[in-house]
Amino acid sequence: MSNHYLGDLLERVRKPARYLGKEVNAVFKNPGQVKVHLALAFPDLYEVGMSHLGLKILYALANRLPDVYAERVFAPGADMEEILRGENLPLFSLESNTALQNFDLVGFSLQYELSYTAVLNMLDLGGIPLYSSERKEADPFILGGGPTALNPEPLAPFFDFFVLGDGEEVLPEILREYASWKDKGRGKREDFLEIIARIPGIYVPGFYEPVYSQGNFSNMRPLKENVPLCIEKRTVVDLENAFYPESFVVPYMEVVHDRATLELFRGCSRGCRFCQAGFTYRPVRERSLNKLKELAGAIIDNTGYEELSLSSLSSSDYSQIEKLIDELQDQFQQQDVSLSLPSLRADVFALKLADKVQRNRTGGVTFAPEAGSQRLRNVINKQVTEDEILEAAAQAVKAGRSHIKLYFMIGLPTETEEDLREIAGLARKISGLRRTVKSKRRPFKVIISASTFVPKPHTPFQWEPQLDLKLIKERQELLRQSLRGVKGVDFTWHEAGMSFLEAVFARGDRRLAPVLERAFRMGSRLDAWSDSFDFSLWEEAFKKEGIEPEYYAYFHPETSAPLPWDHISTGVSKHFLISEYKKALEEKNTGDCRKNGCAGCGLENCPIQVGEAGCTTIS
Amino acid sequence: MYHYLLTFSKRGDLRFISHLDLLRTFVRSARRAGIPIACSKGYNPQPKFVFAAPLAVGIEGENEYLDLYLKEPWETDKISESLNMQLPAGLKVHKIRQVDLNRPPLSATVGAALYKVLFSPVSPDLEQALHDIISADTVLLERKGKKDKKTLNIRPFIYLLSMKKLEGEKGVLFMLLATGNKGGTRPQEIMSLLPLGDSGGRTKIKIFRKDLFVMYNNRFKTPEGLSPSEYLE
Repeated sequence: MSNHYLGDLLERVRKPARYLGKEVNAVFKNPGQVKVHLALAFPDLYEVGMSHLGLKILYALANRLPDVYAERVFAPGADMEEILRGENLPLFSLESNTALQNFDLVGFSLQYELSYTAVLNMLDLGGIPLYSSERKEADPFILGGGPTALNPEPLAPFFDFFVLGDGEEVLPEILREYASWKDKGRGKREDFLEIIARIPGIYVPGFYEPVYSQGNFSNMRPLKENVPLCIEKRTVVDLENAFYPESFVVPYMEVVHDRATLELFRGCSRGCRFCQAGFTYRPVRERSLNKLKELAGAIIDNTGYEELSLSSLSSSDYSQIEKLIDELQDQFQQQDVSLSLPSLRADVFALKLADKVQRNRTGGVTFAPEAGSQRLRNVINKQVTEDEILEAAAQAVKAGRSHIKLYFMIGLPTETEEDLREIAGLARKISGLRRTVKSKRRPFKVIISASTFVPKPHTPFQWEPQLDLKLIKERQELLRQSLRGVKGVDFTWHEAGMSFLEAVFARGDRRLAPVLERAFRMGSRLDAWSDSFDFSLWEEAFKKEGIEPEYYAYFHPETSAPLPWDHISTGVSKHFLISEYKKALEEKNTGDCRKNGCAGCGLENCPIQVGEAGCTTIS
Repeated sequence: MYHYLLTFSKRGDLRFISHLDLLRTFVRSARRAGIPIACSKGYNPQPKFVFAAPLAVGIEGENEYLDLYLKEPWETDKISESLNMQLPAGLKVHKIRQVDLNRPPLSATVGAALYKVLFSPVSPDLEQALHDIISADTVLLERKGKKDKKTLNIRPFIYLLSMKKLEGEKGVLFMLLATGNKGGTRPQEIMSLLPLGDSGGRTKIKIFRKDLFVMYNNRFKTPEGLSPSEYLE
C-alpha cells in the first residue's frame, strides 16, 4: 500500500494514530532484503496491544536478527474494518504497510479467550484462509503463543503451530529453521511443520487428532510417527542473561499502560490456586538488582518515559524490592521519573512500597484479597488475613488516600452466600475506619470490584465447574444488596456472560472451533470490550453449531479423567495439581515454596528442588 | 525559570496525531534530549509546554508555536538541535528565541489562523457560495456538544476567504479564521457550509495551517511580524 493511499485511509477513521506506525523507536528495514518477514499480531486494538510487554520483547528480539524483519499488526477498529472490507483492502502491518498475507510467518499473541474471534477476523481481513488445512504454499504460517496457547485446542484448526512457554529462546530457533527451509528452496508446508515439530515447546496441532468417547474427550492420537506425545512448555532458565529490550516503541496515542516496563522477575511462588499464571510461569526467576538498574537507565534514556513500572506477577515479592526502589529513585532523581507497582498484595508491606513509589500519596490504592472469608481464602490459598487487610486499609486512610479498591471473585469453588456476606462485612469494617482512624484529608471511597471465577487449565481448579450463570447473577445481586447502606462504597462487577464464555473456551476442545468461526461470521469482534460484547450472538452461534456451551463451563470431571490439554505440560505435575485441589477442598494452605521449602510441584530446572516433569495422561 | 518561543512544523503523516499526542511527543523528545524542562507546581506537576493553538487531527501545520519553560538556561541553538535529533520525522523545530519570562504564552494572545485548503474537484457553485458567506451578516452553524447541539453565528470569526482555481479541477482556498480564547471557527466547519464535488463523489481535501497571528495595533501579524497577505499566493 502506498503512503498516499494510507493517508487517504487515515483521513477517514476516528483514531488514525492506531494505524500510523512511525513511532519513535519503531524499526525500519527493507522487507525485500530480509530472509524472514514476521508479523507480530495482537488480536486487540493498538492501545491494548501496545501495552503488552511480551509483544515488545519479541519485537525487539526478532529485529536484532539481521535476516529478520518483525512488524506489528493490531486488530482494526470497527470504522477501519468497514473501510477495508468496503474497498477490498487487506489488513496491513504498521511499519511497511504490508498485507498480512504477504508475510512469511504471522504470530498471534494469545492473551485471553475473548480475543479468539478477533484472531479470525485478522486472518480473514489479511487475506489468509482461516483453516490451516486450506492454506497454500504461498500463504504464511500462522503461529500462536501466550497464556491461552497452553490449551489451544479450540483454536487448533486455525493455527499451523503453537509455541508454548517463554518465547525468548524458541522464537529465534523458529526463525532460523524458517530461513534455512527457505534457503533450501522451500517445499511443502507439511515439511516445514515436521522440522519445527522437533523443536521443544512447539506443538503442531495438525499432527494430532483428538479422540472422543461417549461425548467426552478421551485421548490425543498422533497422526505421524516421531511427533512428541507430550509437548513441554519452554522456560528461559537464565532470565538474567536473557534478552530484554533497552528501548521500547513510544506510541503517539495514549495506550492503556503508557509507561516503560521493567520486568523484575518471571513466575510467582505464592501458589494461589485459581491463578493460571502462578502455575504456568514457574519457577520464579529474578533479574539481579544491577541488571535491573542498568536496564532501567537505558530504557528511560531511550524512550523519555516519565514513568517506569516495576512489573511482575507480584512485585512486592522481589527479594530486594525496597533496595531496588531506593536505588532507582536515586538514579532517576535528575530525570523526574516516577515508579509504579502493579498488583499489590493486601498487606502493610505492600502499602509501604506503594507509599514509597508514589510522590502523590492521596490517590487510591488497590488490593486483591480475592475472597471475603478466611475459609475461602484458605481454599484458594490466598494467604492474607483480615487483620492484615484492615491494617493496610487503616494506614491508607491515615495517609489520606482517596479510595481503597478491593478485588474479589464471585463463584470460587465451595463459595457460599455467607462468604459473599463477609465481603460486605469487610467493606463495612473498612468504611468504618473513617470513624476510628484520623485521616489527613478527606472522606475516602471503598470500591468493591467483583469478577467471576473462571476455572483455568493447568491449575488445581481445572476440574472445577464454573458457577451456574444464573447463580452468578444472583450472587452479584446478593453482594450488591449487602453492600447497600455501607457508607462510601461503590460496587462494580464483571459481565457474567463474558466470564461464562471465557470458561467455555479456557477448558474447551477442538469441537469448539466451528463455533468460533460461526460467531466471527455473525459479527463477533473485540469481545473483551463490553461495548462490543453481544451474548445473544454467541448463544445463537452455539445453537447453530449444535454445541452446548454449558457442557464446557460446567464440566466437572474426575481427576483421573483425560483432559483435552493433557498432552501439554507446563512442568508442574498433575499429581501436584490433584493434591492442591484436595487441599483446597480441605481448606488447607500450601506455603510459598521460596519461604517454606519445596511444595513438590514437580518442576524441572527449579532452583528449589528438581522433580518429575511431563504429561500424565496420553496414549 | 527560562522562557523560550519555538516555531515548529507538523508535516506529512504526523498530521494524524492529536494535540495531546503532540504534547506527549514533544515532552518525551525533550526528556530524551536531556533538556531541563520546568514543571508546574502542585500535586501533579506537569511539564510547562504551552502550545499556541491546538491543531485538529488531519491538518498539517507549517508554522506552529510552543512556549517552553526550562529550569536552567540553555543556548537556543542547543535546544533546537537536540530537540530535532529526538523528534520523529514530521516534527521539526525551525526557530527558537528566548523571551521575557513574564510575557504571557502565545496561547493567551493568539487571535487568528491562516489556513490553506487544497481540494478537488471544484464545484461550479463554490464561488457564489463563498461570496454569499462574505456578504452575509450572520452565518449559522450547528455545533454538536457531548450532549446537546447549539447553533451559533460564526460570521464574526471569518476574516477572509479567498479562492483560486488551479489546473486540473483543483482549487485552493485561503481562510483567515479567528482562533484562541475569544472563540473561533475551524476550516472543516467552513468546508461543511460549501458545495463540494459535482456528482456525489468524495471531494479530496487537504488542509494546511500556514501560520498563527496576534493582533498588534489593530493588525494581525505573526510572532515574526508577517501579515496574512504575505502568504496569499
